Amino acid sequence: MGNTDQDKMWLKSALETLPTVPVPAGLERRILADFDAQAARRRASLLGQLRDAVWPGAPAWRPAFVFGAALAIGLMAGVLIPLEDGVAEGTEQTAAVSLDAPPTFEIGENS
Amino acid sequence: MIDPDTDLVQRAGQGDRAAAQALMARHLPKMLTLARRMMGSQAEAEDAVQDAFLKLWTHAARWQPGKAKFETWLYRVTMNKCYDRLRKRAPASLDEAVEVADPAPRADSVLEKAGLAEEIEAALQALPERQRAAIVLCHHQEMGNIEAAEVLGISVEALESLLARGRRTLRARLGHLKEE
Repeated sequence: MGNTDQDKMWLKSALETLPTVPVPAGLERRILADFDAQAARRRASLLGQLRDAVWPGAPAWRPAFVFGAALAIGLMAGVLIPLEDGVAEGTEQTAAVSLDAPPTFEIGENS
Repeated sequence: MIDPDTDLVQRAGQGDRAAAQALMARHLPKMLTLARRMMGSQAEAEDAVQDAFLKLWTHAARWQPGKAKFETWLYRVTMNKCYDRLRKRAPASLDEAVEVADPAPRADSVLEKAGLAEEIEAALQALPERQRAAIVLCHHQEMGNIEAAEVLGISVEALESLLARGRRTLRARLGHLKEE
């Protein structure tokens, strides 16, 4: 065995005498808290992208308010405004095509 | 090559907390040991490792399997965080860090071993940071030369040169222990 190999083995055993490094529970908690914060930021970012697609640059409440107001007005109009009589009476329809008319071509005409 | 961490990284990127915990359980002890040997200070090592994991959490969603082995990338990030902190240190505080290498109380029976460890730790801390990184990765973390070179972002030849110089310096500083 060469000098270098002996050095390597000696160095390895020397480094093994160093005390093991314990992982404190506080560090694990801090790292997981960072993960939670990052996940929350990502969720908020996805909502933000959706909001910007609907109304760029507006605060989140504005598109939500406009959508809610439009829905409410539509529902109120549907419930409160009665149908006009004329519209109800004029709903009968007649067929514009007469079904007993002769065909305009004959099968096998050229055979 | 199948990277055993790919699935966990992708799940963590989608916000899966259990996957994040599993990744942490798998890599945190080795990362903390690496940072502790590089920094010579427990508090700074913890901060460097926390920074490295924060980078992992922000990049996990964009992780592309097959480009690099995850563990190698994580070691590299940890090493870079250690370098950043070492460069921010004032020269005076670097000396202090070497002196407070082992703050644990010592009983008489372990005094000799603790003294030996302290001496080795001090010799390690006195090495230039690239040599120290090479020695810690290859001799303490038992990483292969190719992977260690990837972590350090250098060629295998350059790594071997760092290792040879580091070993020579340590042998000169700790030679009296070898003879005992």
